[in-house]
Amino acid sequence: MGIRKRERIDWLMKLVFKSTGLLTIALLAGIFFMLLYNSMSFFFDVPPIDFFTGSQWDPDNSKNAYSILPLLVSTGLVALGSMMIAVPLGILSAAFLSELAPGKLQAVLKPVIEMLAAIPSVAIGFLGITLVGPGIARIFGIENGLNALNGSILLAVMSLPTIITISEDAIHAIPKSYREASLALGANQWQTLYRVVIPAAYPGLIAAVLLGLGRALGETMTVLMATGNTAEMPSGFLDSIRTITATIAIEMGEVPYRTTHYFALFAIAAVLFLITLLINLVGEYAANRLRKFQA
Amino acid sequence: MKYFFIPLTILLFACSDNKTVKVKGSDTEVNLAVQLAESFHRYKPSLFISVSGGGSGLGIASLLNGNADIANASRRINEKEMALFREKGIVLDSFIFAQDAIAFIVADDLPLASISTRQLADLLSGKVRNWEPIAGKRLPVNIYGRQSNSGTHDFVKNRLHISFSPAAKQMNGNAQILEAIRADHSGIGYVGAGYVIHGVTKGIKVLPVYTTDRNAAVSPLDAAKIAEGAYFFQRPLFQYFRAKDSLQVRPFIAFEKSPEGQKIINVGGYYPAKK
Repeated sequence: MGIRKRERIDWLMKLVFKSTGLLTIALLAGIFFMLLYNSMSFFFDVPPIDFFTGSQWDPDNSKNAYSILPLLVSTGLVALGSMMIAVPLGILSAAFLSELAPGKLQAVLKPVIEMLAAIPSVAIGFLGITLVGPGIARIFGIENGLNALNGSILLAVMSLPTIITISEDAIHAIPKSYREASLALGANQWQTLYRVVIPAAYPGLIAAVLLGLGRALGETMTVLMATGNTAEMPSGFLDSIRTITATIAIEMGEVPYRTTHYFALFAIAAVLFLITLLINLVGEYAANRLRKFQA
Repeated sequence: MKYFFIPLTILLFACSDNKTVKVKGSDTEVNLAVQLAESFHRYKPSLFISVSGGGSGLGIASLLNGNADIANASRRINEKEMALFREKGIVLDSFIFAQDAIAFIVADDLPLASISTRQLADLLSGKVRNWEPIAGKRLPVNIYGRQSNSGTHDFVKNRLHISFSPAAKQMNGNAQILEAIRADHSGIGYVGAGYVIHGVTKGIKVLPVYTTDRNAAVSPLDAAKIAEGAYFFQRPLFQYFRAKDSLQVRPFIAFEKSPEGQKIINVGGYYPAKK
């Protein structure tokens, strides 16, 4: 092969790889500007101050009830709840998997946990209606279990595989010398795990938690089915809620094209997008910082 | 992103066979339409009917963009939608194939024999949030309704001239509402009468409705009263189709009008269309 031909192939390949890389950025920017552009039309009709300070989302019945607050609180509540369940459960099972579990158990457990991620969200939502909901109602002595707690439990189940798999990788990647040094200094296995191995794995664990949180924030079908969808401001985990994603899913199908209501859905989608973006940035920053700290 | 494939698959299926009449729309009508389609297929095996739900609005939208041949709608097509059809130059034809009644259901241990339309308006709009003034039992009211893309939701709202309470739960379908009322002693919900006539009704109670006189309360399960048009929450079920397709869809519609079709409608818990 002549040198010129090689150079040409080289140049071509560079171009291909560069363009695939840039394509992702273009997609992200495209989505962002599409959301932003449509949100602008909304903010011409409804001042942003009403959007962020009102207390009622009810565009079907009232012309000015476009407040994101109850939806935002709902989304936050259900995501927070799911993380409170999934983070300790996920990190502890990851620690067990990589540090304590015997080889045979590990070989069974890992694929089973990964299989959990393959359950469709509709099936999990169904579980929430028929099993978790009535269970919650019985335990708390309330009339129905279609509430934020139900959604939190289901979302915790859905984000567990993500959290466990990534945490396990992070813990596994800690050099053996850390553990050996700790054990040599007289620490027992437990002390080694929670004073040395887990702190050393923090960057990876944070990434795991944030990816799990992203899953919980963006999940639609499960929360749509299991949380009751009331647009009222929730006051606790036992109240029915309606998340941003569920609102978009319910209303997008029926909303008259290019009306204030239509643009309002883009505006709440843009807010959700900004939140997930912010979470990712914070995660990146924290992970990098902690990594430097370790080295 | 993962939902992207669903319309794609539907589209692929839609292209593969043009001897299929696609019926889409109201979830209220979907059970009935499936039964009609199944009997029709036995009667004329060369023509396939595919039936799916999704709500009246979705059915009409699908008819507009060509993804459906017949749109089931539990409400009359509105002005906005009509304008879209005019814009595309599509002439619509419609036909009323049955009468549906909306049943209001509560748990069977609620001490309430019948309910007035005014009480219903108070409950569903969120003005009254406790059962005490109506049923004499201290219990918070839990409303189970449909999502705003449902024709049933719009019908109840417009009939009572209210806007639904923001505390009303929005469920995915009739079956989910039944399931919820069965579990919830304080719940009130509305479903198509077809769902309570032939579904399992253990644990729930259908409330007769009256406007002014308690003794004249009419149950949605009373066929004779429905035929008279005496029930407050009854409505015609429409099927819309493109006038130019009438040759293609006519055999199915003729079957629905036939005595055999009317019998299926009766058995399905609906009432024959008023003549």
